[in-house]
Amino acid sequence: MCLQMMGIIPAWSRTQLKRSVLPVLGAALFVWSAAPAQAAGTGQRVERKFSVTGRPVVVIHNVANGRIEIKSWKNAEVDVLGTQSSNKIGFDIEQAGDRIDVTANVLDAAAQPLELEANLQLTVPEETELQLKTETGLIYVEQVTGDMKLESYAGDVHLKEVSGYIIVKTTGGSLVCGQCAGKLDFSSISGNAQILQPQLNNVNLMTTTGNILFDGEFVRTGLYSMKSGRGLVEVRFSSNDSFDLKAQTSTGTVDNQAAAFLKPDTHGVKHIYSNLTHGFFGTVGKGLAKVELSSYSGTIRIMRRD
Amino acid sequence: MQCKDIEIVLEQEGLEPLPPEAREHLAECRECRSYVADITSLVDAAHKLPSEIAPPERVWISLRAQLEAEGIIRTPADPVAVEKASWWDSMRAFFGNRVMATAMVGILIAAAAVFEIRKDKVGENTSPTQETVHTVQAPTQALPSSNQTSNQTSNQKLTSAPSESSAPAEFAGTAQALNDQEPVATGMLLTSRSPIDASLRDNLKKVNEFIAECEHHLKEHPQDELTREYLSAAYQQKAELLSAIIERARSIN
Repeated sequence: MCLQMMGIIPAWSRTQLKRSVLPVLGAALFVWSAAPAQAAGTGQRVERKFSVTGRPVVVIHNVANGRIEIKSWKNAEVDVLGTQSSNKIGFDIEQAGDRIDVTANVLDAAAQPLELEANLQLTVPEETELQLKTETGLIYVEQVTGDMKLESYAGDVHLKEVSGYIIVKTTGGSLVCGQCAGKLDFSSISGNAQILQPQLNNVNLMTTTGNILFDGEFVRTGLYSMKSGRGLVEVRFSSNDSFDLKAQTSTGTVDNQAAAFLKPDTHGVKHIYSNLTHGFFGTVGKGLAKVELSSYSGTIRIMRRD
Repeated sequence: MQCKDIEIVLEQEGLEPLPPEAREHLAECRECRSYVADITSLVDAAHKLPSEIAPPERVWISLRAQLEAEGIIRTPADPVAVEKASWWDSMRAFFGNRVMATAMVGILIAAAAVFEIRKDKVGENTSPTQETVHTVQAPTQALPSSNQTSNQTSNQKLTSAPSESSAPAEFAGTAQALNDQEPVATGMLLTSRSPIDASLRDNLKKVNEFIAECEHHLKEHPQDELTREYLSAAYQQKAELLSAIIERARSIN
């Protein structure tokens, strides 16, 4: 009516209006409604919430490329948010009691790598057990307490303030573990491991060509083994630490920058030095923890942090 | 007959033939019919299961490597004759009903060998890992023939797998089994251009180089237990990697 009064359109009859305008409006409405559907096809999002009792177990298998991020909250719920770059990936999410299974499947084997991106973001109770397996893309876990097994081919694993028995296996991915507690097993072929400010009482790190950095406290009565075939094994300890140290390499070098703080073994054990390896034994403080560092052909570096 | 009697009859006499009293009860009792139907379907499903499930190959390889490393088993003094027989048996068992697959893998290997030879000629000495080794190793410990070895093996294999004869005697069986399995695994990666497969190939190459280095060192210093430990761990990593490659290829295809 307004347009007619303003003289923009002629004073058509009601029938004329129906015949000419309504089809256009209909077409416009169709285009408008179809556009979001197409967009959803290229960037779909799935969100599910599961109530749990007790300590849940979350199992994720992501065969697509993408990031898995897990954080915690106070709720007794597991929230799963999945985003995918195309409809060539499908999420299977199911609950069986306190176990939540999330699987990202490739639906079209001929899909291009860019079409196979699936990111998962989970929020879980603080005490949760995790079993995550991915091929590439970062695994990030923060403030979760519970046993966890994290496996990746090429993706890195970043852990922050997690505790429990932590097993990390990668082929080429690296591990960064900040303020972790409990027990840690890491094995990789070419991945690096950085352990920063830990409260770990049992550590086993093994990489064939990667580097290892341990910067933090050795818990009394703790056991620490760090091995790299070809890479650098670097340990930075503090003056308050107390540990027995054994460092040895077959063809590599030992760079002992803390010789002034290392005493001969105070427990009366006579160590036998092999002619075939370079290395040394020493004790810091009362030698309460046990630290074993080795490298086949890389460098072992020991230094005091403070 | 009561419901609990049906359970006793099934427990003692099995599903067939049920006594007439039990059949009468079943005709009247819906719950027991459902119970018997469940038991029947379970028994059927159990019959369909294979009588024996073979563990993955990597379990045997890892187990063998561990036993050899601990000195519990040893390779026979004359490994050549024995190895030939076991090699044939294992190959025959592996390819038992996969003749077509074997033929395909063979064709792919041949094609890849040509491709790999050309590729290696271009970028053989640019590996950062090798550079790292040279910087940290004592000059006398560097592999004198690492480039030569790589070139030789790349002409023969898809990756720089260590030569079969260079493994210490106690690891000979493991090394042979892994080298047999390697062409199968790498053959499955040939058609793939995904970055993950490229990463797996790269890591396989790194493990092979490391194994070759340790084997070479152990030849000169057979008493070096640290190197022996690293070699044993590297064999295990290689077994797991080959297994991962095969599993991944099968899951995709």
